[in-house]
Amino acid sequence: MKHEGMTLIVKTISRIIVPMIFLYGAYIILHGHLTPGGGFAGGVILALGFLSIFLSYGKSFTMKWLNLKFLEEFEASSILLFIILGVVGLLFSGVFLINMLSKGDFFHLISAGQIPILNIFIGIKVGASLFLVVYALSQIKLEGEE
Amino acid sequence: MIVYLLCFALFLVGLYGVLTKRDLIKIILSLAIMTYAANLFLVLFGYQKDASYPILSEGSQVLAMVDPLPQALVLTSIVIELGTTALLVAIAVRLFQKYKTFDITKIRRLSG
Repeated sequence: MKHEGMTLIVKTISRIIVPMIFLYGAYIILHGHLTPGGGFAGGVILALGFLSIFLSYGKSFTMKWLNLKFLEEFEASSILLFIILGVVGLLFSGVFLINMLSKGDFFHLISAGQIPILNIFIGIKVGASLFLVVYALSQIKLEGEE
Repeated sequence: MIVYLLCFALFLVGLYGVLTKRDLIKIILSLAIMTYAANLFLVLFGYQKDASYPILSEGSQVLAMVDPLPQALVLTSIVIELGTTALLVAIAVRLFQKYKTFDITKIRRLSG
């Protein structure tokens, strides 16, 4: 059997550190309306978490537990949800993406109306599409390769 | 003033790389350095001495803030740069597939 991925050291370290990367990415996305960061930055961190698994464990192992078709549809549907949220605002009060939720108190996690929800959608979109970009680049076959 | 000159020097480093290097990957990296310099230049326009970042936080008394508009524009620019870099890398990999080299002086004939 061919040796997949990198050495045992890299695999062990990435197994410890990848959950923390995901946690940090989720924190950056969810606190996008309070602190620096937001959907794009957190999505990039999520994609880097996926990529460290991809690099350390190899392509076939990652694709075994990551459904590519689901990832593509997840990516496309997140931006569709963003547009639906905007159109709902358009239908209710005539302005695209108008805020319909309670604005809440300053500096609380549940505040700023719809902005955290939109941040989550952007984070999913960026995370999935950045991972798919690198995956698509890795799929280009060179001469003499299987 | 000196920071603008240093920023321009960073841009010239990237331009030097684009003009003189022969390796496609090095050219892509030099283009990335050029865009970093342009982004840094835009952010420097909004900079103010002794000003804080333009985000309110609990219990902070902010008197002066840096200009958030260039920062928002630069965030968009970074996203576009990501897309163009991905496209350039894809083209470079396809060229390597055809010509078996990254040297731009050797990529000259049409290859089927």
